[in-house]
Formats: sequence, structure tokens, C-alpha cells
Amino acid sequence: MADQFEEKVTFDGKKVKVLGPTFEDGKPETPINWRQKMRNRDEMLAYLKTGERYWFSEEWFGSEKRKTKA
Amino acid sequence: MSDLEKKSIDPATIKMLKKAQADGCETIFDRAETMKPCPIGAEGSCCKNCAMGPCRVPAPKKKGETAAEKTKRTGLCGATAETISARNFARMVAAGTAAHSDHARGISEVFLATAKGEVPGFQLKDEQKLYQVAMDFGVEIGDRSIKDIAVDVGHKAVAEFGRQEGEPLFIKRAPLKRQEIWRKLGITPRGIDREVVELMHRTHMGVDQDYRSLLMAAARCALADGWGGSMISTELQDILFGNPVPVFGQINLGVLKKDEVNVVIHGHEPLLPEIMADVVHDPDIQQAAKAVGAKGVNLAGMCCSANEILMRHGIPVAGNFLQQELAIVTGAVDAMVVDVQCEMQSLAQVAKCYHTKLITTSAKAKIDGATHIEFEEHNAPNVAKKILMEGIQNFKNRKPNVEIPSDTADQVVGFSHETINYLLGGVFRASYRPLNDNIINGRIRGIAGVVGCNNARVTHDDPNLTLIKELIKNDVIVLVTGCSAMACGKAGLLTPEAARQYAGAGLASVCEAVGIPPVLHMGSCVDNSRILMAATAVVKDGGLGDDISDLPAAGAALEWMSEKAVAIGHYFVASGVFTVFGTTWPTTGSEEVTKLLFEEFENTVKGKWGFEPDPIKAAKLMIEHIDKKRKALGIDKARERVLFDMAKRRELDAA
Repeated sequence: MADQFEEKVTFDGKKVKVLGPTFEDGKPETPINWRQKMRNRDEMLAYLKTGERYWFSEEWFGSEKRKTKA
Repeated sequence: MSDLEKKSIDPATIKMLKKAQADGCETIFDRAETMKPCPIGAEGSCCKNCAMGPCRVPAPKKKGETAAEKTKRTGLCGATAETISARNFARMVAAGTAAHSDHARGISEVFLATAKGEVPGFQLKDEQKLYQVAMDFGVEIGDRSIKDIAVDVGHKAVAEFGRQEGEPLFIKRAPLKRQEIWRKLGITPRGIDREVVELMHRTHMGVDQDYRSLLMAAARCALADGWGGSMISTELQDILFGNPVPVFGQINLGVLKKDEVNVVIHGHEPLLPEIMADVVHDPDIQQAAKAVGAKGVNLAGMCCSANEILMRHGIPVAGNFLQQELAIVTGAVDAMVVDVQCEMQSLAQVAKCYHTKLITTSAKAKIDGATHIEFEEHNAPNVAKKILMEGIQNFKNRKPNVEIPSDTADQVVGFSHETINYLLGGVFRASYRPLNDNIINGRIRGIAGVVGCNNARVTHDDPNLTLIKELIKNDVIVLVTGCSAMACGKAGLLTPEAARQYAGAGLASVCEAVGIPPVLHMGSCVDNSRILMAATAVVKDGGLGDDISDLPAAGAALEWMSEKAVAIGHYFVASGVFTVFGTTWPTTGSEEVTKLLFEEFENTVKGKWGFEPDPIKAAKLMIEHIDKKRKALGIDKARERVLFDMAKRRELDAA
């Protein structure tokens, strides 16, 4: 797969070539089954506590767990 | 432009309308010409809740109605135009909630039976999602067996429908501030069935006759749909059949095959479709197809059943709601299999024009003139085989007038909120942070959910697609479900490449970096609960307020048609989202009711309704709302970026 380049202008006005979007040929034949990466119960639960921390973690600082409440 | 070309912007649809005309077969598009909507019913001014009526209280055609004239505009019992309008609206919410929730009840029962090992063919495919829901439901995980955990989850899910007090278990998923708003207003649902029953009671003759009270009760009922029935459907379906992940698929009538037995699965519940998707690979089925001269069996979906099996298996989609008759018009559909919701009775009549066998499968939904083969979960694989064999046997009855349009489009679907979270950060850094950051820095202006149906009163697919293209052009990322998602698929908006072609520079740059389309297909109509979850994740991640109503976000259903759409719209509004409907608005008979929904709701539930049939104007309304929210968050203007050196940092620390 050959890289594709695009010409863009930098902040100081120079023209540069930058790497453009590259797509593999063909169409995807299999789903991106990312959930299979968690292989056992411990890994699944660990992912839930980190990846889905919005609902399952006690130790992070989002809008509802910030130090100073809005 | 010919009259036919005004009916749809989809070329395959127009081709099949021409064929139907040539074949002398009437479709919904013809009936939309000959039968106009009742103007009094359309504005919600007809009350038929008792046998003293129906009473008609239409809004005056001219402005300036006097108080005396208004007083006369009541039903026999004295019900005002406001009460009648609000009652009609509320009953639509109740019906929509009932539809989603009865779907969820069926799923819950099969889930429980699967957990107990009582239903062959079904299994729990997504262990991780089981743990997720178990944690939500407070079911102990520990070292217990999957079966024990699942049985407990199943019992808890089934109990949600008959819950009489407390709060549905998924309510605590909502942002904390949102939960407080509901509690203060007294609209947190108690149970799912209870809210539907109470709303039907309130709208009975001579009960709740204050439109404000009725519409708040409708909000409570709608929330029992979005954060109750619909969410239970989505979550348990994910455990049974797998949480959707990105998968490639194709859409439009061109997915039908001339040399194969075409079986179209149409409806909403994924139980039978999932088993059919499995059983279709059975060597006996394929051999039987070859025995009748076909190359095999081609399974295709229609409406939300299609969305379900597309999202999980990549099974092709024949089309959306207004294409259901037209699939039969191809003359190549050997069996159309339907379960519940959005199946037009006219299918039986259209099927008679061709050779198609129309098969109903739900005990709740029979159609006069169709063959009924009831889906029994305890015997699902055999029922699925029997249905496929009906299609195979019917292959030889095809008539010579087979014409399949060549139109198909590629699409990438499967964007559950869990998958979006993963795609934005990977296993170790799964997060909505990149989305929030790009909203804050302005590359993404906001988020829109564009959902809902098709409606034969407007040009098929046009309002939804025009709206969505305008939104992504203005850097608004769009989440889609249902028939709206299918319109996007047909128009090529559901591929990563669409970002560069259709999206504004900011949105396109983010989509290209992540490798996602600018329009994300999140599933069927019950899967609007996934949009609620995504919105909640954005809130909880931080930086964009404390509630869904703080987000630069808006929703729309410009081609809405069903009562389910009203329930969905109302739960989005009650969750804090500005939601715009098109085509027609069912409370225009009462200025007060409309004003309450369009303006005053923003002071209470912090969300509001809007009505705008023109898609460009609707986009403008949504973008204005998004900009208003950006301003309130203080992210409406680019800020100067200052690079802090060590000395400046020390100054900060000292302060």
C-alpha cells in the first residue's frame, strides 16, 4: 500500500508535504471484535472498572467526582 | 422531476415504484396521494375517549380567538382543547412506551430461560456485558457461575416491569444532577408497566384534566421507556447476542439475489432473526435450496430487525420502513417474515400481486391473509428451519416479472456506546475524553441524535438526509438509529470515507484520526438507549457541564411516524435534550400545550420540543441550540494557547 501525501502550508507559510489518509485496499471481511481482548473474568471486570469507569470506578475525577463541585 | 421522483430520493425506491405501477400493484405511496390526513386528528383536537363523542375542538383558522370563543371550544364533558390535546399526546407516549417495553419483557423472559438452559439455540454470548449489567443490578459476581449470575440478572430484569415502588434499576446510570431533577419534579418512574397503566388511567374520561399534570405524567412514562424498557432490551440483547462492534455490511434492495431464495426478516425483536441467521448455514437448508434450483438462501433484513442482525452479523439490509412493500414488488422475495411493530397490513395485499409468502411469527401480531408460523422460543431452531423451508418451497412459484434494482451501498455499523469508548482510547485508555476535548476545542461543534421512522407524507429519506448532511457539514457529529440510520447507509454516510466528502474540516479531521464515519449507526429504535448512555458518558467524563441538558447536543426525528417516536422524543426531552420533530406536530390544536412543550419544559425538565418540517431550518435550530450551550459552557470562543515555562508554573504553585 503506497503512502499518499498532501501538500499543506505550515504556520510560517512554507509548503510541506504531509502524510495523507491511507486506506487498505478492499473491504473489511471480519468485525473488529475488540471485546475478545478481555480473556477472562478478572480482565473483564478490570476493564469495566477502568474503561467503563463512569459508572464503575471510585477513583477518577470526572464531572461528578471533581475535587471542587461545580 | 416526475411525480414518482418526488416520492423518494432513493433510486431503488423510485425504480420499484415504477414497477409497482406497471404491475398494477398499489402501495402506501399511492394511498398517500388518495387519502389525506384528517386535519382535526392531525392537530390533536379530536377526543374519542368516551361514547358521548367523538368531540372535535379544532383550533380556529384565524388568529385572535376571544375568551368567549375559546370557552366554547370544549368537548361535551367540558374537556378543554388543552386537556384533549395533552391527553392525545400522552396516549401516544403510553402506546410507544408499551411497545418498547413489551418487546423488552419478551427479551427478558427469553434471557431468563436461556440462563436456565431451557431454550435450545440461545446462549449468553457476551460475558462481559453480563457482568456490566450484574453490577448495575447489584447482583453479586465473585466466583459464582455465569449461570447463577445470569439467572439473578434475569429475575431482576423481569421484576422491573411489575415494580410498584422505588426506581427502575437503570435510573442510577443517568447523571447525578439529572436524577435530582427527576426526583424534584416527581417524575422518576416507579416501574415500567405502572407508568403505562397510570397514564392510560389519567387520560380516561373524567380523570386528569390539567394539561401540565398530564404532560409531566407523560414524561414519567416516557422515562420508563428510555431508562427502563428500551434500555433493558438493549442490554439483555447484547448479553444474548453480543455487544455490537464495528462490522461491514450492505444496504438497499440490490442485496436481494435473483438466483437465490430470498427471505426477508422484518420487524423488531431479534430473537427469531438471530436463530435464522444461525440456521441458514445448516447444510440441510442449503441443500434444500439447491434442490429447487437456487444457489442458496439469502437472508436480508428490513426495518429494525435488520438493524439488529446487521449490527451483530453484517447481514445485508433490504431497506427501511417505506421499502417493505417494494421489496415484495421486486418479485424476488420468496418469504417475508414479520414479528411486531411497523409491519403494514398492506403487505398481505402486495404479496398477492406477486408470489411472496407473508409469514407472521408473533402470537401478538397476526395479519389477515398471512401464513402464521408461531415463534416458540423453546423450539426456536425448528421454527426457523420451517420458515426457511417455506421460502425455499416458494422459490419455484416466482413469476417472470422479477426485477431487482442494482442499487446497494457499503456501510460500517456497530457503534455501541462501549465500542465508541473503546475506539477513542483502546483497551487501556478507553475513554470519551478525546470526544470531549474535541468538542471543547471546537473541532467538533456538538452532538446530534437523528432517529426515527419514514413517513409517506414527505419525500422518503429526504428530510433526514438533508438534515444530517447539513449537521455534519457544520462539524456536528451525528448518532443515528432505526430507519434514519438506514437512510444514511443508503446515502453512503456510514463509511469512514464519508467524513472527507461530507463533513466540515474539524469533524473530518477527528473522524479520520479515529477512523470512524461522521455518522455513527448505533442500532435499532430500542437502541436509542445507547444514545442516552453515550450522552451520559460525555457528561461524566467532565468539562461539558454536569447534566445532559448542559451538553452542546440536540435530537431530531424529521420523518417520524409511529407512537414509539413520540415516546422516544419525550424521554429525550425529559432527559434534557432539545428535540425537533418534522412532518407534523400532534398538539397544534392547543397553543398552551404546544407552548408548554416547546418553551416552558426548558424551565423544568431542562429539555424542550421543537417542530420544523424544513430540514435546513431544523438544522439551523439545532445548531443554534448547540451554540447556545457552547456559550453557556464558555467554549464558544477560541482561547489563546499559552505555553507555560517553569517560572510561570512556579508562580502558579505559589498562588
